[in-house]
Amino acid sequence: MVARRRKRVAGDLEAGVPSPPGYYAIPIKFSAKQRASHYLYVREHRVREGTQSAWPQKRTLFVLNVPPYCNEECLTRLLSPCGTVQSVELQEKPDLAESAKEPKSKFFHPTPIPGFQVAYVVFQKPSGVSAALTLKGPLLVSTESHPVKSGIHKWISDYADSVTDPEALRVEVDTFMEAYDQKIAAEEEKAKEEEGVPDEEGWVKVTRRGRRPVLPRTEAASLRVLEKEKRKRARKELLNFYAWQHRETKMEHLAQLRKKFEEDKQRIELMRAQRKFRPY
Amino acid sequence: MGPAPTGQQLRGATGGPEVIEPSFEGTGKKGKKPSSRKRGVTESQAENLLQPVKLSKAELYKEPTNEELNRLRETEILFHSSLLRLQVEELLKEVRLSEKKKDRIDAFLLEVNHRIKRVPSTPESELTDQAWLPAGIRVPFHQVPYTVKGSFHFLPPAQVTVVGSYLLGTCIRPDITVDMALTMPREILQDKDLLNQRYFRKRALYLAHLAHHLAQDPLFGSVRFSYTNGCHMKPSLLLRPHGKDERLVTVRLHPCPPSDFFRPCRLLPTKNNVRSAWYRGQSPPEDGKPDPPTPHYNTWVLQDTALGSHVQLLSNVLGSAPGLKDGVALLKVWLRQRELDKGLGGFSGFLISMLVAFLVSTRKIHTTMSGYQVLRSVLQFLATTDLTVNGISLCLSSDPSLPALADFHQAFPVVFLDPSGRLNLCADVTASTYHQVQHEARLSMTLLDSKTDDGFQLLLMTPKPMIRAFDHVLHLRPLSRLQAACHQLKLWPELQDNGGDYISASLGPLTTLLEKGLGSRLQLLAHSRPPVPEWDINQDPPKHKDSGTLTLGLLLQPEGLTTVLELGPEADQPEAVEFRQFWGSRSELRRFQDGAIREAVVWEAASLCQKRLIPHKVVTHLLALHADIPDNCVHYVGGFLDALLQGLKETSSTGEEALAVAICYYDDLSRMLWGLEGLPLTVSAVQGAHPVLRYTEVFPPTPVQPACSFYEQLRERASLLPRLDKPCPAYVEPISMVCHLEGSGQWPQEAEAIRRVRAAFQLRLAELLRQQHGLLCRATATHTDVLKDGFVFRIRVAYQREPQILKEVRSPQGMISLRDTPESLRLERDTRHLPLLTSALHGLQQQHPAFSGVARLAKRWVRAQLLGEGFSDESLDLVAAALFLHPEPFTPPSSPQVGFLRFLSLVSTFDWKNNPLIVNLNNELTAEEQVEIRSSFLAARTRLPVMVIITPQDRKSSVWTQDGPSAQILQQLVILAAKALPVLEKQLMDPWGPGDIRTVFRPPLDMYDVLIHLYARHIPRHRQAVDSPAASFCRGLLNKPGPSSLMPVLGYDPPQLYLAQLRAAFGDLALFFYDQHGGEVIGVLWKPTSFQPQPFKASSTKGHMVVSQSGELVLLPNIEAILEDFAVMGEGLVQAVEARSERWTV
Repeated sequence: MVARRRKRVAGDLEAGVPSPPGYYAIPIKFSAKQRASHYLYVREHRVREGTQSAWPQKRTLFVLNVPPYCNEECLTRLLSPCGTVQSVELQEKPDLAESAKEPKSKFFHPTPIPGFQVAYVVFQKPSGVSAALTLKGPLLVSTESHPVKSGIHKWISDYADSVTDPEALRVEVDTFMEAYDQKIAAEEEKAKEEEGVPDEEGWVKVTRRGRRPVLPRTEAASLRVLEKEKRKRARKELLNFYAWQHRETKMEHLAQLRKKFEEDKQRIELMRAQRKFRPY
Repeated sequence: MGPAPTGQQLRGATGGPEVIEPSFEGTGKKGKKPSSRKRGVTESQAENLLQPVKLSKAELYKEPTNEELNRLRETEILFHSSLLRLQVEELLKEVRLSEKKKDRIDAFLLEVNHRIKRVPSTPESELTDQAWLPAGIRVPFHQVPYTVKGSFHFLPPAQVTVVGSYLLGTCIRPDITVDMALTMPREILQDKDLLNQRYFRKRALYLAHLAHHLAQDPLFGSVRFSYTNGCHMKPSLLLRPHGKDERLVTVRLHPCPPSDFFRPCRLLPTKNNVRSAWYRGQSPPEDGKPDPPTPHYNTWVLQDTALGSHVQLLSNVLGSAPGLKDGVALLKVWLRQRELDKGLGGFSGFLISMLVAFLVSTRKIHTTMSGYQVLRSVLQFLATTDLTVNGISLCLSSDPSLPALADFHQAFPVVFLDPSGRLNLCADVTASTYHQVQHEARLSMTLLDSKTDDGFQLLLMTPKPMIRAFDHVLHLRPLSRLQAACHQLKLWPELQDNGGDYISASLGPLTTLLEKGLGSRLQLLAHSRPPVPEWDINQDPPKHKDSGTLTLGLLLQPEGLTTVLELGPEADQPEAVEFRQFWGSRSELRRFQDGAIREAVVWEAASLCQKRLIPHKVVTHLLALHADIPDNCVHYVGGFLDALLQGLKETSSTGEEALAVAICYYDDLSRMLWGLEGLPLTVSAVQGAHPVLRYTEVFPPTPVQPACSFYEQLRERASLLPRLDKPCPAYVEPISMVCHLEGSGQWPQEAEAIRRVRAAFQLRLAELLRQQHGLLCRATATHTDVLKDGFVFRIRVAYQREPQILKEVRSPQGMISLRDTPESLRLERDTRHLPLLTSALHGLQQQHPAFSGVARLAKRWVRAQLLGEGFSDESLDLVAAALFLHPEPFTPPSSPQVGFLRFLSLVSTFDWKNNPLIVNLNNELTAEEQVEIRSSFLAARTRLPVMVIITPQDRKSSVWTQDGPSAQILQQLVILAAKALPVLEKQLMDPWGPGDIRTVFRPPLDMYDVLIHLYARHIPRHRQAVDSPAASFCRGLLNKPGPSSLMPVLGYDPPQLYLAQLRAAFGDLALFFYDQHGGEVIGVLWKPTSFQPQPFKASSTKGHMVVSQSGELVLLPNIEAILEDFAVMGEGLVQAVEARSERWTV
């Protein structure tokens, strides 16, 4: 049946690969050895009027279904025949904003294992996009000249990469902490300046650091206050003092029993349904 | 055609095991996609999910009726709770006989009565002349010796009466039997019939003639012989109706003498009625030694004469008290679940009814009591009264001619006299059977007294087969060997008394022998009772040796198992001779540290697993020495599963010692950390966070000594790297631990900054450990790896407030509130819950030495079924811990074998949908708290994971099962466990050896759609496989340990890396299954939902392709490319990708 299916796919190829409206399908394979291929679905990156997008209009190609073994560098190489590629951004799902505002530290944010991704490819010229939309496949991820590591090769090199250089880590920590300390110092400086100084409407900001510290504005703290109030009120109340209170407690007890009984009945019903009463 | 039905058809066609069907049937119900889940839950709720009860206010607060108040009050007084009351009522409904059936049975009984009365009489003939018996009928009696005086002729019975539980209304389903007593006419019997089995032989001939005539009657579907209560002297005739009623009822016919025929004084336990001269064929001894008494023989005769009076008594007591009848029925169920009621010497329903009568007569039970209260009182009585020492009697008269209780204690191990004061009702009950009953009663009482568990379920609904109840089990076979044992033990009088039944004769002495020998190792010894045979009337009665095997169950005392020494008396004491005699050549003189010279027995055992098997050595040694039973006749079942825990090279240990060594090094390291100088903050606590440190790692780590030539070397970072041209190096998993620092206000209050400071601590830690202790360390941003004596530890520095800081959310008003985030939950789990759990389970291991074995076997099994990834390590450990903390109705297991069986039974029977599994570590939860947890569980059921495990530290969220298993995986495990349990139990209970014990550990592979075969070269743990390969690859380790200057390769396991990639790429389309302990194959199962053609959506193109289907463009998984991706992504590791089913073809 595999064979039959393959035949049909081959038939499809002759008739042109079906692609969803607005998209163009480019077959992509890991290497020449593979017989079946995945399809990249590409189109020009467009957004509705008025929507902010980090990607330049006209020059950006939006690529769906990028296989996990195809990284940025690879995609650049594959698409460079269409025109010079300025940048490639791989993401887990389509996202308009450019995600990585600042480069994340590789020590503290290990890159996750990739699955199928989407890519935003920015060409230098708009012509690159149009050239890409007529690209004939199949693209090959790993070739003789540019082999891509997979399997054991990849895992061994990944392992080697994971052995960190303590010096580099130390430097990264030190620089970050220096910047952080400066930031905190500046903030404190600012807070000190503002302390006790009313703003233009005459409000004075009360902080933890003042002479008379106030309750921190957290949910837990406010809940604690409420709880305390409640307990205070409960202590003052008299229990079973009046006859009606007595009556009510009794009724309450009965209601509890009834509820319990109902629950038990439901349980029994369920057990009976599951034939839980057959002892053997 | 949609893919799912296709798949089902294909499955049906290939005839694959039904195992998998329900698991993926369930898919539709529970659903993987959130959209279908909602629907699924509401559907299944209607079926079998408990919902919180909603009663309207009017209903809750309406005026109570008198009736309701009465019922509520009654429940409060007579029952434990209303649930228990309802349960008991339901159970009784289930086991009671319906009125309709009763009518049919009554009609049948009437018919039987008529037929019996019409059986023709025969002319008189000698007892030994049995020629008058028609051919095709065999006398249901072992006539040894054959010659006996007396004559016999058949006359229809003088009286036919129904006796026993049917009449009393206490008989329970299934297997309804009605006992009928046929009083033989006086004319048949002769004066001296009491002597030399003459009465019993006449009884047997009487039945044989009756059987011949009744067998020709078309009314009966089957006419067979059996034994009354398993006593081989007293055959009985079983009649079953013809046709569709065959299963309805069994009528048992018991012939009996007229009640006053035998003189009671001849039947006292001190009297002899089987002459040695006759029995052994010798002339009477010259020395005038009197014949030995025959108490059992006498009792069997007496039992026949007292049938009527007993029924009379019971109907007087139980007749008008429905509560007592309920109680008796409950007690019968209780006994039956414990396999105590069947066979010769069983604690039968009749005995328990008499016990109820006794308690009524002593006013411990009142006739107005409910069934539950009767059950409780009887159990209480059994638990506190030792009938082997203080017998009881129903006899009220103070006639001086009656024998004293002491006489009975001389003759019988257990004494309970009937109202006549002459008959011991417990004559056949052995001391061990009674002790077992007592033990069970004691367990049940504690269970009833504790308010936490569902006592009813555990007490009355849970079967306790021997293999699951006892730590070790041993079979004695062939039984004919016991005949020799009887001679060796000089049991001739007993044989004479028992009419040649060497099994019952030797049972008592054998059990006493073993109990004495096992001493402090033993908690309880129980024996099986031979099953009551049934045979056709044209066959000879089965021989004693045909009654299967004798099975003994040992309940071990964990404290006693730790010693290898059996200390005897000092050499010059007179007891020393006795000790030497008892232990034979095993006993030797030893001088002890305190200077004493004593007799002692020392067993060679180095490891815990060998110590656990010392009882085996004791039993075989004693049986060979004293009973002439060679060790090939003893099949000891206790350590068969140990092989699955043993490493490749060692066969003497199941790894507890190796784990203890690793823990020892961990303790060393934590001491170093505490004493570390130069850290900005001192270390306040070091906690373990790894299975090794709680004794539950399946294969304990061994110290590594890498051979450097095998690796790529990274000198500047002091590390070894795997090499391409070599096989994958040995798998070294770092043992993780958490290091807490003293509190300080200097920590930054921002997540990113905290991470940097922590990293700085990790670096500093590595530096200091290197400087101060010369250890090889490697620091990363999140942990520091330390190589210490060949073990690698991974130290994680934790900051207590970090989870809280990760949780902080600032609302627009500036209010700071705490919200769980995935990251904070993970951190909390790793630095708070995991260390607590690890230390609690470490403590559990100290209390129960078998915990390690059970937990590891359980994990091993789950992983071997390829389901290991679905269950977190900790969740399985907790399930294993539950077996020790909540063993009811059993006792905590003392051997891995029994623990593993109970694991399987717990997994397969626990109702995960409606119950949380509460694991009360350190007994921190009170009964009230547990009740509260249960009720809040119901309210929150839909939000909780499929499998909910509650511990005192984690009362709401069930952290360890949050990420799985999914409903399907759990269901699959339940099904597999339910299949494995009977298979394994059957193997272990097979007296001729278990066969291949690994059978249940091999996974079924025919359910998978694709199998990915891997090269063994790159499986580092290849040798751990269930069927360990004869040869594997060199993993780059040196044999002799020594110091190493380079860090070995850590946590490098290509199959795991491969799986992680596969799951990241194809997790939406398929499930991947793998056994991390050396599995050579990855099972892939396509998710049925992923084959639904979908309209094109930019976010769901992953691995899909657009196909035009009937003019529409739809997305379908690009299976061929994906199958090739499997091979591409695992290049070098994957041997072949085998697509087996065509479920995915569209």
